[in-house]
Amino acid sequence: MDINVRKRSQVQVVQLRGQLRMGPAVDSLRQTMEEAVGAGDTRFVINLSEVPMIDSSGIGLLVKLLASTKQRGGNLKLLQPSKFAIQTLRLVGVLNLFEVYDAEDAAVESFS
Amino acid sequence: MSSKADGGSKDLRELLQLTIPAKSEAVASVTDAVGETLTGLEVPEQKRLEICLAVQEALVNGVVHGCGNDPSKSVTCRLESDGDGRIIIVVTDPGPGFNLASVSDPKRGENLYADHGRGVYLIHQLMDKVQFERGGAEIRMWKY
Repeated sequence: MDINVRKRSQVQVVQLRGQLRMGPAVDSLRQTMEEAVGAGDTRFVINLSEVPMIDSSGIGLLVKLLASTKQRGGNLKLLQPSKFAIQTLRLVGVLNLFEVYDAEDAAVESFS
Repeated sequence: MSSKADGGSKDLRELLQLTIPAKSEAVASVTDAVGETLTGLEVPEQKRLEICLAVQEALVNGVVHGCGNDPSKSVTCRLESDGDGRIIIVVTDPGPGFNLASVSDPKRGENLYADHGRGVYLIHQLMDKVQFERGGAEIRMWKY
């Protein structure tokens, strides 16, 4: 999985490319996010537009990160999840835990 | 013998059989191989994604729970099809199985923020029929 992190207006925009599933993909995202949270970042937009599939390990990581950022006064929001990613998140009842956006600008500005 | 209408084993054609060491980084290779096989069979994308995610979850279950992440053990995945385009997947691990009754509902409030416990639930939601054999050490999944 490719992970690219950019900072926009005190918000970390995390672009993912590939399947978010158990193994190197989930491990890499966990490490990237733990480093960012350790550095004091608490506002995240996760761009899922190029993530065709999220497995239960990926879902578990996303909800843990959501809880972790909220505990620190921040948030983790999802950008452009695919139709199948939305279906998967809904199936396990966690879709409504997240704020979901269609546009990066709107997602970033929602933190203002 | 059960009938085709029951999703049984009549006239099945083996499409793929792969065995991997029980380590998490090996799982994706099987899921991807299943996806490529289904693409070759012109299985529609939505159906293919649902099967691949169910396979992924079954393999992860086998690696983590069936083998305890011990790479000296192995997990096997077999992909079959019948003449009517139904897909059957069998994932087998050497473990003792598990108690299905102990699988909790991931949509219950206290479980929503858990980082695990959604795999078996997802498999049931994504596939048309699911059977656990050998106490859960073998999972059979059908997609019609």
